[in-house]
Amino acid sequence: METIMVAKNLTKTYQMGEVKVEALKEASFELYKGELVVVLGPSGSGKSTLLNIIGGMDQATSGELYYLNKPLHTANSKELTLYRRHDVGFVFQFYNLMPNLTAYENINLAAQIAKDPLPIKELLEKVGLANRADHFPSQLSGGEQQRIALARALAKNPQIMLCDEPTGALDFTTSIQVLKLLKDFSTSYGKTVVVITHNTAIAQIADRIFYLKDGRLVKIEHNPNPLPPEKVTW
Amino acid sequence: MLRKKMLRDLKENKGTYLACIVVMILGIMVFTAFSLVVDNLKISQKSFYTEQNFADGFAQVEALPFSAIGNLQNIKGIKQIEGRIVKDVQVYAPQSQENIYLRLVSMDPSKENRLNDFLLEKGTPLSNKAMNIWVDNKFFEAQNLKLNDKLEIIANGKIRELKVVGFGKSPEFIYALRTTADLYPSPETFGIAFVPIEIMEKIFVTGVYNDLVFSLEPGVDFEDIEDTLEYKLKPYGLRSLIPRKDQVSHSLLEMEITSLETMARVMPVMFLGIAAMILYITLKRLIEQQRGQIGILKAFGYTRGEILSHYLSYPLVIALSSSFIGGILGIILAGPFTSMYRLFFNMPEAPDNFSILYLILGIVLSLTFALGAGYQGCKNILKLEPAQALRPPSPPSGRRILLERIPFFWNMLTVQGMMAVRNISRNKGRSFFIFVGIMFCFAITAFTWSMNDLIQKMLFDQYEKVEVYDLKISLSQSVDAKAVSRELSSFPGVNRAEPMAEIPVTLKNKWLEKDVVILGLPPNSHLYNILDAEGNSVELPDKGILLSERLASLLNASLGTKLNVDTPLIEDWDSTKQVEVRGIIPQYVGINAYMNINALQEFLKAGPLATSFMLTTEKERVIPLKEKYRESALVASIEAKEESFKKLQELMASYGSFIYIYALIGVIIGFAIIYSSSVITVSERSRELASMMVLGMTPAEVLSVATFEQWFLGLGAMIAGIPMSKLMLTGIAQAIESDIFSMPVVISPTSYLLALIITAISIWLAQQAAAGKIKKLSLVEVLKERE
Repeated sequence: METIMVAKNLTKTYQMGEVKVEALKEASFELYKGELVVVLGPSGSGKSTLLNIIGGMDQATSGELYYLNKPLHTANSKELTLYRRHDVGFVFQFYNLMPNLTAYENINLAAQIAKDPLPIKELLEKVGLANRADHFPSQLSGGEQQRIALARALAKNPQIMLCDEPTGALDFTTSIQVLKLLKDFSTSYGKTVVVITHNTAIAQIADRIFYLKDGRLVKIEHNPNPLPPEKVTW
Repeated sequence: MLRKKMLRDLKENKGTYLACIVVMILGIMVFTAFSLVVDNLKISQKSFYTEQNFADGFAQVEALPFSAIGNLQNIKGIKQIEGRIVKDVQVYAPQSQENIYLRLVSMDPSKENRLNDFLLEKGTPLSNKAMNIWVDNKFFEAQNLKLNDKLEIIANGKIRELKVVGFGKSPEFIYALRTTADLYPSPETFGIAFVPIEIMEKIFVTGVYNDLVFSLEPGVDFEDIEDTLEYKLKPYGLRSLIPRKDQVSHSLLEMEITSLETMARVMPVMFLGIAAMILYITLKRLIEQQRGQIGILKAFGYTRGEILSHYLSYPLVIALSSSFIGGILGIILAGPFTSMYRLFFNMPEAPDNFSILYLILGIVLSLTFALGAGYQGCKNILKLEPAQALRPPSPPSGRRILLERIPFFWNMLTVQGMMAVRNISRNKGRSFFIFVGIMFCFAITAFTWSMNDLIQKMLFDQYEKVEVYDLKISLSQSVDAKAVSRELSSFPGVNRAEPMAEIPVTLKNKWLEKDVVILGLPPNSHLYNILDAEGNSVELPDKGILLSERLASLLNASLGTKLNVDTPLIEDWDSTKQVEVRGIIPQYVGINAYMNINALQEFLKAGPLATSFMLTTEKERVIPLKEKYRESALVASIEAKEESFKKLQELMASYGSFIYIYALIGVIIGFAIIYSSSVITVSERSRELASMMVLGMTPAEVLSVATFEQWFLGLGAMIAGIPMSKLMLTGIAQAIESDIFSMPVVISPTSYLLALIITAISIWLAQQAAAGKIKKLSLVEVLKERE
C-alpha cells in the first residue's frame, strides 16, 4: 500500500498559564492511500490535537511529519495554507457552513479554490441533496448540513479527509448515511479518510484503529474485515 | 469585580475603543476650543465697543459745514453725533518698494467721551496746536516706528511731517481694510492715523466734514432715524449711510464669530455622532458575545439594573476620559487659537476666560452621546431571561437579496463576493454606519479640497485672467480720460494705458436698491477682461450694463430689467434715469456693475471722465513711474499688481494648512469607522472566517470577503458623497456670501478624484489594521467551540 503520510515522534505541548500541558506525546505512525482510519480515545486524549497537526492547522512542538515526502513540521504558514487548500478536506462536528451561502454555493466556495475540483452537481447527488441545492444552512436539518459539509470537503478532491466527530451531533440514521459516504470516498476514490470519535462502534468500519490515551498513541490495530457502515449499530 | 471585568474587556478591544476615544476627544476639543475662542472674541468685542463708545451708524457726505452738526444732534433718537474729516493719503517713503497708505481720521482732543474713541496704549495726548498723530498699533509695529518718530505723508500734493506721539487701537478698525477688495489687513501697507481736527483742517484746507458717526438712544433702531437722517444729509451730498451691522470691520468680525460658532456646534455633533455609532456597534457585539456571561450573572441573581449599569460603565469610562482629555486640550488650544485671531482682529486682550463651564458641558455632551449609544446597544440584555441568555442565540439565517435578480451582476461575483454582498443586508445597522461614515469621509475631503481649489482659482483668476495690467493708478478726482491717457502712454516704459471710470452709484429696481461701483471699461480692453462662468471673455455691450450674479440677485434683476441709477458724484442728477441690464456675469470678489466707458460717460453726461488708469509697463520702469507720480495731488494710489499677488500667495499658503487639517479629519473619521467595523466583523464572523482558512484560503482571501463588502458599500457611499459634498459647499457658500466675497458651488473633478484617493487610502489602511486580527485567529479554538 502506498504511504502518503509519515509521522515520527510527534509531540505537542501547550503552555496553559503556569502549567505545561503535553497534549500529544511522541506519536509515530503512517497513513496509507485509500484507507479509513478511526482514532479512538476519551476526551482530552489528544485526538483533536493529532488531527489538527495532520491537517496543517497546527504544528507539532517536536517530531517530524511528512506528506508525500514533503516535511510539514518545518513548513511556514503559507505552505500550510497551500497544503490545506489542495490536499486536505475537513469535516467538523458543528458543520461550520457559511450561513449566508446556499448549499450549492458552500460547496462552490471550496471548489473554486481547488486545482482539480469534483463536479458540484455530482457531489450533491451523491450526498442525496440535489433538490436542496438552493437552500441556506438555516433551512437544512443537522444531518443535511453535515452532508453538505462533507460534500464541501470532498469538492476539493483532497488526498486526505479529516473528520472531527462528524456524527457527534447527529442521530443514528443520519450518522450511518454520513459514514457510508466516508467509506465510499475511501474505497471508490482511493482517498485516505481519518475519523476521530469516542464512539467505539464506528471503529468497526475502519481498516485500522488508532487508540489514544493521555496523549499517547498506545495501540494501532489492524482490522482485516471492516464492516460496511449499514451493518454497524450502537 | 465587575469593574475589573469591564477594564479587561476594554483592554481586549482597545483598538476599537481607542478609535472611539480619539474621535470623541476631537469632538470635545473642537467644541471647547471654539466655544472659548468665540467667548474670548465676544467679550473683547463687547467691552471694547462699550468702553470706546462704538458708533451705531456711519455716514459719508461730500461736505457738511461744521455748524450743521448741531442741527443733526436734534434728531429724535440720536444720542450723539460727530462730524469728522477722513482722508486717505500716501506715506512718503521713497526707499520703499511698496506704496504705504494711511487713513487720516480727525478727532477733537478737547472733547470728552468721543464716539469710536481711540484706546491709547502708549504715548501722550494729542494737541490741536502741533503736527502730532496717533497711529494704530499694528501699523506702528509693522513700520518699526518709535514714539516721537516723524512720518511724512503726501497730502494735497505736499509733503507733510507728522509726529507719532502714541499708538493704540480703535473699535472702528478692528479689521482694518483699505478697500473692501482687500481680503485681509495689511499693516505693512495700510494704517490708521488719528489727527487733531485743527491740524486736519490745516493740511487739507477745508472747513467741512466728510464723515459722520453717531450713536442712538437706547431702544432706537437705525431704521427709525434712517429716513430723517437721509433727508437731512441729502443736501450735503450723502454718499452712504449705514448701520453698525454693515460697517466693514464690524461685519467681518461678526461673520468670523458666527462661522466659529457654527463650527463649535456642527463639528462636535458630527464627531460625537460617529463616536456614538462606533460605541453602539461595539457594545452591541460585546453583549452578543457575552450572552452566556450575562445569563450566568442573571442566574446568580444580579438585577437587570446592575447588569445594565455594568455595561453602561463602558461608555461612561470612555465618555468621561475622552471629554476630560478633549476638554483640557480644548482649553489649552483656545489660547493659541485666540491669539491667532487677534493677529487679524485688532482688539484689546480681554483676560482669556478660563471657564469650567465648557469642560462640564463637554462632559455632559459626550455622556449624552455615549450613554445614549450605549443604552441602545445594551437594551436587549434586559429582555433576556437567564435560561434564554445561557442558550446560544439562534443562528443567523441566510437570505437571498434583491441584487441576485440581476444575473449579469451576480454571475460576475465569486462565491466570496456573493457572501460579501449578502453580508451587507445581514447587519443593516452596521452597513448603514459604514455607508454614512464613508460618505462623510468622502464628502468632507471633496468639499474642503474643492473649497481650497475654488478660492485659489477665484483669487488667482482675478489677477491672472481678469486684471492683466501691471500697475493701477487711482486718482483722487476724475480727470479727462484722453489727456491723461496720452500723458501716461508717453512715459518711457509704459506699453499701454487704459482709462477706467469707477463710479459709485445706487442701483434701484423697484424697492430693491444697492450701493455699488460701476466700472467703466474701454471696449475691447486689453488690461481688464470680463469673464463668464466658463472663463470666456465677455464683450461689453455698447449700451446697457452688466451685473455680477450676486448683484443681479440682490436687485432681483434679469436680462432686460431697467434699473434706476442714482449717483452722488454729479450734482443735479436726474435720478429717474435708467439703464438696461444686458448681461449677468460671475464675480467672486466684490460686487460690481460693468459698463462700456463710453456708454457710461454718455450716460453720466460728464464728458470723457476717468478715475483711474491701468498700465502695462516694463518692470524696471515701475519705480521711476511711481516716483514721478506719487507726489501728485491727483494721484490717490499706485498699485503694483505683482505685490498684491505675492501677498495673496503668502496668505493662501497659510490657508492651505487648514485644508490639510480637514483632510486629516476626513481620514481619521474614515479610518475609525472602517477599522472598528472590520474588527467587529472579524470577531462576529470568526467562525466563518476560520472555516474558510481551514478550507485552505489565505488570510488575504479571507479578508477579501470583509473588504469586498466594505468596498462595495464604499463605492455607493462615495457616489452618495458627491451630492453630499455639493450640499456642504452650498451651505458654506451661502454662509460666507457677502458683498466682499461670493463662492460658486462647483466641485472640480480633481477634488472628487482626490477625495476618492484619500477615502480609499483610509479604508485600505483600516483594513490592513484589521487584517492583523484575522491572522491571529486561532483556527483550532474557534472551530472547536460551539457559538
